[in-house]
Amino acid sequence: MKKKIVSALLVAAMAVTTFAGCGDNGGNGTTQAGGKADKTASGKVYMLNFKPETDEAWKALAETYTDQTGVEVNILTAADGQYNTTLQSEMSKSDMPTIFTVGNTTAAQTWNDYTYDLKDTDLYNHLTDKSLVINYDNKVAGVANCYECYGIIFNKTILEGYCGMDGAVVKSVDEINNFDTLKKVADDINSRVDEINEALGTDLTEAFASAGLDDGSSWRFSGHLANMPLYYEFKDDGCDLTAGEAEITGKYLDNFKNVWDMYVSDSAADPKTLNSGALNAESEFGMGEAVFYQNGDWEYANLTNPDNGYTVTAEDLSMMPIYFGVDDANEGLCVGTENYWAVNKKAPQEDIDATLEFLNWVITSDEGRDAITNQMGLTAPFDTFTGDYETKNAFAQASNKLMSDGKTSVAWSFNATPNVDDWRKDVVAPLTAYSAGTGSWDDVVTAFVDGWANQWKLAHEGEE
Amino acid sequence: MEKAIKKYFPIFLLPTMIAFAIGFIVPFVYGVFLSFCKFTTVTDWKWTGLENYTKIFFVNGKLDTTFLHSLWYTALFTVVSVIIINLISFLIAMALTKGIKGTNLFRTVFFLPNLIGGIVLSYIWLMIFNSALSQFSKTIVSTQWSAFWGLIIVVCWQQIGYMMIIYVAGLQNIPGELIEAAKIDGANTWQLLRHVTLPMLMPTITICSFLTLTNGFKLFDQNLALTGGNPGRMSELLALNIYNTMYGTTGWQGVGQAKAVIFFILVAVIAIVQNKLTTSKEVQE
Repeated sequence: MKKKIVSALLVAAMAVTTFAGCGDNGGNGTTQAGGKADKTASGKVYMLNFKPETDEAWKALAETYTDQTGVEVNILTAADGQYNTTLQSEMSKSDMPTIFTVGNTTAAQTWNDYTYDLKDTDLYNHLTDKSLVINYDNKVAGVANCYECYGIIFNKTILEGYCGMDGAVVKSVDEINNFDTLKKVADDINSRVDEINEALGTDLTEAFASAGLDDGSSWRFSGHLANMPLYYEFKDDGCDLTAGEAEITGKYLDNFKNVWDMYVSDSAADPKTLNSGALNAESEFGMGEAVFYQNGDWEYANLTNPDNGYTVTAEDLSMMPIYFGVDDANEGLCVGTENYWAVNKKAPQEDIDATLEFLNWVITSDEGRDAITNQMGLTAPFDTFTGDYETKNAFAQASNKLMSDGKTSVAWSFNATPNVDDWRKDVVAPLTAYSAGTGSWDDVVTAFVDGWANQWKLAHEGEE
Repeated sequence: MEKAIKKYFPIFLLPTMIAFAIGFIVPFVYGVFLSFCKFTTVTDWKWTGLENYTKIFFVNGKLDTTFLHSLWYTALFTVVSVIIINLISFLIAMALTKGIKGTNLFRTVFFLPNLIGGIVLSYIWLMIFNSALSQFSKTIVSTQWSAFWGLIIVVCWQQIGYMMIIYVAGLQNIPGELIEAAKIDGANTWQLLRHVTLPMLMPTITICSFLTLTNGFKLFDQNLALTGGNPGRMSELLALNIYNTMYGTTGWQGVGQAKAVIFFILVAVIAIVQNKLTTSKEVQE
């Protein structure tokens, strides 16, 4: 008898686990907010969100929208680094996302059959800078939902303190407006760390925060720093700055080398172990151990978040362009985005309509604008974001100031990189060897230039 | 009763067969089919024939050795790990069946690493390796060989305990009278091991070498977390290579799929050969 009960229980348990998978129609993590207000609304919205940190804000926003209009809005957020995997599986389902994120032209190419032409939408019309889109295959495949800037983050307080010291290379921070001066300042700070600490009461160990070449940090150089030689070359060649060209010559790679050498030599990290993964540049800068740190405005939230326990405060933070020795007088920060909204062409027409309406509501309503600026902390590129909805990010403000001073923002030319992951991997390996002293710079140049042409051919196969 | 079972066995088998078909056969056949297609999502494909297979070896009209490198690197890794894991776990199992004090404690301790997931384990080892190697201004991904031995150490540390348990069970299954009889006949320790223990242990060796062999070929988590394929792609084992092709290279999902098919055939053939070889040495009681 006992045995029978046990086996019956086991069977029951099995049945439950078998069927548990079927009931959960919306998938885990989606907000099933729809259905209670207005059943007649025909279209529905399904957004596959790219930024995990904005998940909660989007879900709250979706609920608000459903309460107001009755249109069902589902939000699914992909885990960090899993966006492509998630997108691929979600797109195979019959209930596919109506809004998804494309990061660059390559992604727009991959999803070309799915991207809806956004040319005549309100979303596009509200854009302040019409270059913040992805044009692919004669259509506006993606519209930026935020823009970001990067450059060299610096600790204003320490740097100003240094300028006031005897024997400082410059007397004011404003004098650092070209590569040569920046290098002199960095060299000087790095060699006089103890003296500066004594005079200013700081905890410096280096001028530049470590230039880690592990997978978690190497994109700052193979992506963001590599953008500089790409940008200037594209500019010289007169091609589309973010779409790029099939072959590059690497004519500005010497400048790249100069900047990279400065990052490595003016830092306390051992050049031989840059790829160990043990380096944490953010914390070095956050704890006031470094004055300079190449990264973007997304770091603002991390650096000022009290939970992280960093010693820097919002008042210490500012950003300067990555002076590259080409056109330093006019160079601004690197401004662009890897987050473009794309609308799914293969979704039913009523869903597409509902989706466009939803997106328009997000960028025009008070709730939507508040969520984007204040809860998600993004800088939106739409003309509706004025007054209370302007960015509070010190780095984005620095970027705006440089723009209004007449500097030219550097475009995100690295968005043109063919087979981004492969190309970067191939560049990082020789760069690591070069920094460790086991490889030559020529290998970096080869990987950079030849690798580009090679990957371009692969990525653009079958196009005319 | 027996008649009834014979009559109705398809009905009893049906649920399992359906589950097996949904969970294994259908995806497998579909996967093989997709390896001949260019696709973005699995429901949206275009037939391209053998193009994916040629792309594995020829890129832009030139021979591409990335996959071949992964292949021999994986093969070497598997051979080395199979030998080390089986040898050490066998020795530990021998030591722990001698009835020394604290046997149970030792067995538990050796088995414990197996309970930690591969990713976590590798991140912990990464820290250990790098802090030790930083003394010599090196990292685990300085060269492909440091990465290789790093992977070997992690995998051995993880799997030796598991294989040891299987060996212990095998050793305990050898009848005591057999060993006693051999001893009475005057066999020394070496002869005892060579002619009694090992032949009796053959079924266990078959299982353990099969498990370590396939584990070696399929290794993914540890590879991803410990080296990430660095430096360059030099420490990329096959599974990671396939994953990177699938998700890293634009429009190469089909090529990734083709690599996976080759990978499957390879693992299947090697596992069958290995099974045949070791099973033939098993003695019937």
